[in-house]
Amino acid sequence: MSEEKNELLAEISEVLETVVNRRVELRTDMNIVNDLGLDSIAVMNFCMALEDKFDISIPLHDMASVVTVDDLAKTIQALRSNA
Amino acid sequence: MSIFGKFAALSARYDRLKQSGADPFSVKFDDILSSVEGVVRGKKTLLFGTNNYLGLTFDEVAMEMSADAIRHHGTGTTGSRIANGSYKVHAELERELADFYRRKHCMVFSTGYQANLGMISTLVGKDDHLFLDADSHASIYDGSRLGHAPVVRFRHNNPDDLAKRLRRLADQPGDKLIVVEGIYSMLGDTAPLKEFVDVKREYGAYLMVDEAHSMGVLGRDGRGLAEREGVEDDVDFVVGTFSKSLASVGGFCVSSLEGFEILRLASRPYMFTASLPPSIMSSTISALKTLRREPERRTKLTANSRRFYNGLRGAGFNVGPECTPIVAVIIDNPDIAVAFWKRLLEEGMYLNLALPPATPNASAFLRSSVSAAHSDEHIDFAIALMTRIGREFGLLPNETNVCPFPVSAERLGATAATARALPTAVGAGAGMA
Ligand SMILES: Cc1ncc(COP(=O)(O)O)c(C=O)c1O
Repeated sequence: MSEEKNELLAEISEVLETVVNRRVELRTDMNIVNDLGLDSIAVMNFCMALEDKFDISIPLHDMASVVTVDDLAKTIQALRSNA
Repeated sequence: MSIFGKFAALSARYDRLKQSGADPFSVKFDDILSSVEGVVRGKKTLLFGTNNYLGLTFDEVAMEMSADAIRHHGTGTTGSRIANGSYKVHAELERELADFYRRKHCMVFSTGYQANLGMISTLVGKDDHLFLDADSHASIYDGSRLGHAPVVRFRHNNPDDLAKRLRRLADQPGDKLIVVEGIYSMLGDTAPLKEFVDVKREYGAYLMVDEAHSMGVLGRDGRGLAEREGVEDDVDFVVGTFSKSLASVGGFCVSSLEGFEILRLASRPYMFTASLPPSIMSSTISALKTLRREPERRTKLTANSRRFYNGLRGAGFNVGPECTPIVAVIIDNPDIAVAFWKRLLEEGMYLNLALPPATPNASAFLRSSVSAAHSDEHIDFAIALMTRIGREFGLLPNETNVCPFPVSAERLGATAATARALPTAVGAGAGMA
């Protein structure tokens, strides 16, 4: 995995920890809802926190198509390069 | 595994709740005696969870108009207005609402839920953007899901946060619609509407305010938060419901924007459902007239809200950030909240129980709505009862150092400043009626 990707994952973990208030060990193949135990409101709050961390806009329907942590990383990368 | 297997987790949670001996989701009333009294398990019960703000459910004139409408026009319209046509009373109701709000246009929907669904899903399309307060009512969230516009959520009641999110999309083409509520249905806090209007103007967005809980409640003439804040000209769409202050069922949207009428042929939740029965519309028209003619109901409602809110706060309860007719007591431990709620019902007081995940911060709320029909005695009974049970559960300090009735009715803003830290912007997407 690239340096850049690792850094992004670390940043995502950091954001997630502020949303769930506990330590999380992120792996790219993790399922955000099932493995991380986020309910729908937590997912929306996670989304809002990510928007602020990366200064991007992640419309809720973009978030809906995100299943794994890897999907999320790709979505964020794509949105950042558009910005 | 049956088709209901996907609800296993919900089922388990509900079973656990029922095992505790309380089922707040299926309270049965043997009878309803008045706007503020019912019978539960044979016991006369004071109603503090009705949204019946003006106490009009048993209004003599409204009941008579409703009965008369049934006799003359039948029990139902049996279809939608685009298919089966409109009755005179549809137009009359829309005219009355437009006149009340001083707007050019009004569309009536079959419920308040559908008014949000119908407006939000239609006003913005895939090339536009929709901005929702994180704590929006379920009907607003559902409207956003029925439509095709990208949805951006901003922190509850936070105009700066909204501005930041609009800024990120400032270069995007298309229209932008912001949706906020007059009074939020869980904690009873109001939106900082003036500040939202500034943001809306800066970014050239449209603004919709759902005045479901503030119609008939706020503003000198009862038009809601936009009237109270003096910003009606900057609110492009007002959505509301007949199911609270107007004591019936149905919803509406009013606006003065040119071109509004085309929505009758574009809004699916308007087009593809049966229109309201004449009896409902007749009582609604009557209630609206009463709302306008009897401002003293609003005065009494405000006084009642203050009495109840200050009483509970003075007793030491952790209440919502602002004094409105929605008075929420916040209880950190949901199990205690359930037991508390059950005890209240046994002792003759009914209110709403709001549980996580539909509440911020995993806490629970005992959520009351005050009515103009409550007497001082009703309210004092409720405060005394809640105080007694609060002490039983160890939620309140002991009798000796508590003054249950504070001497002065404080300015609302002062409380907001201290209590604002409570609901840290978590969306209560589950909503409640
Ligand atoms: C803010 C808000 N909007 C809309 C609605 C929906 O209204 P109704 O119950 O009349 O469909 C409600 C209440 O249920 C509400 O609290």
